[in-house]
Amino acid sequence: MNRKHYILPLTLVLFLAFYCVVFQNVRVLRNDTYYTDYIAYTAPAKVLGPASLEFKGIVSDFLFLKMITSIGEKIGREIELNKNHSKYIYDTSSVITDLDPYFWDAYVFSSMTMAWGFGEYNKANELLLKAREYRKDDYRPPYYIGFNYFYFLKDNSTASQYLMEASRRPGCPFFLKQLAGRLSVYSDKHKTAILFLTEMLKEEKNNANARQLQLRIDTLTILDQLESKVSEFQKAYHRMPASINELVEHGLIKSVPKDPYGGEFYVMENGRVFTTSKMRL
Amino acid sequence: MFNRILSLAFLTFKEGVRDRALLGIGLFCLIIMGSSLVVVSLFMRELHKVAVDMNLSLITFAGLMMTFFLSINLMAKDIDKHTIYSVLSKPFSRTEYIFGKFIGIMLLMMAAFCILTLCSTMTIYAIKLQFADWFKGFQWAGVYKAILSEFLMMGILNAMVVFFSTITSSSFITLLFSLSTYIAGQTIEEVVMYLKTNPDIMMTETIKTIINISQYILPNLSAFDLKIQAAHALPIAWPYFAGIAAYALVYCSVLLTASSMIFGKRELV
Repeated sequence: MNRKHYILPLTLVLFLAFYCVVFQNVRVLRNDTYYTDYIAYTAPAKVLGPASLEFKGIVSDFLFLKMITSIGEKIGREIELNKNHSKYIYDTSSVITDLDPYFWDAYVFSSMTMAWGFGEYNKANELLLKAREYRKDDYRPPYYIGFNYFYFLKDNSTASQYLMEASRRPGCPFFLKQLAGRLSVYSDKHKTAILFLTEMLKEEKNNANARQLQLRIDTLTILDQLESKVSEFQKAYHRMPASINELVEHGLIKSVPKDPYGGEFYVMENGRVFTTSKMRL
Repeated sequence: MFNRILSLAFLTFKEGVRDRALLGIGLFCLIIMGSSLVVVSLFMRELHKVAVDMNLSLITFAGLMMTFFLSINLMAKDIDKHTIYSVLSKPFSRTEYIFGKFIGIMLLMMAAFCILTLCSTMTIYAIKLQFADWFKGFQWAGVYKAILSEFLMMGILNAMVVFFSTITSSSFITLLFSLSTYIAGQTIEEVVMYLKTNPDIMMTETIKTIINISQYILPNLSAFDLKIQAAHALPIAWPYFAGIAAYALVYCSVLLTASSMIFGKRELV
């Protein structure tokens, strides 16, 4: 009788011990999968849309959370993002914004990552055009498209059109109208980017994203300062400096600043300064 | 007549309140609502959207659970346990029985919706206090309109449950039919729109005709889904609201009248 009383608790302890073993094993197996080239798959909107029934909003939230945690985890582990990740972000964002076409977070995250991270400016603009169509009272979609045309695609006249459109929408910041007006002669690209990213930073709640934005602003600020020194050098010596070191040698800067992204700054033939890191971690 | 319907409705309501499934559904919803306080903080900017999405989806989920498990049980129990004989032996007509049952179920649904609305208001308010800067594009009116609209949809679904209960005595078949109608009702509009925009799609004429007829028979439940509008504080016009309310009222009336007719002729063995 007494022995019978011990059978169940002992069996339970035995199973718990087995559980510890299988749990650890599954964790190792999952880590191997996750730490290699695991990229999540998102079903197309034609399937997910009807399957979500009346829960499209919460399904879009879930997909977005899955996307930012998956990509954020890879950035956190300093894994170089490749074309597969870019495809995953674009496809998932398209599905998310098909489910909830007003979801601004999804547009911002995907368009910023596509443009700054992968250099896929047209895809970033494709998503932003969708946002522009649905968020008619929001100045940000045309503003972001205009910025991409100005900063990345170097098409000032198209950029000006979008910035003008943004300036007519409610809530647009005061500088936008002026910027849109004189964009065709505007050359301070880094200054504009700093302005753009500072506006974004004001709205950013997520600490990791805020740190990324701040890092980019810091780098652009250094680039802007170096460009003004290059300009001073040109005025004084009637030629372009061969490298940033020449600015140090001529006493224009104390030392070569460090690129927060780990690259090296260089002077281009037209006097613009850029970095070998391309502002990518 | 109205007194008899009301007394039956209160009886159904009391019977429903005693069901332990209600407690389970309520507890589950409260736990998830509480967890939304944490989940929301994982997002970037549109925290109000996520908070509203989560809370409204939970209210809908609770309504669906109540419809598919509680309402079906309340309808089937009388016939299964033969208690319907004692009810119908009293001066109740079968029509009064159908309407009484439906009103009782809807009273139960209303009570649950009121409690869940109160809880979600408190949850959203707590999130709003915590992240006031990310709640600029938020409006309470849209949230309450979306909840009211969901309640109207639950009216149609429960009328559907009553209707199927009069056709079959098996609660499983009622569940299967009601669930299928809910899924079809949520997707029929999308399918019809898809066919309209893609007329050259490979599909036989018979299937096209079936889909075309189905849109008139099946309830268009997606018309009651205002969650995305509420989450983004988009305007919901009162004429639209009045339109869907009238649609729900008429659809329920048709179903309940048909149920009364079928139930009146049914032999209860």
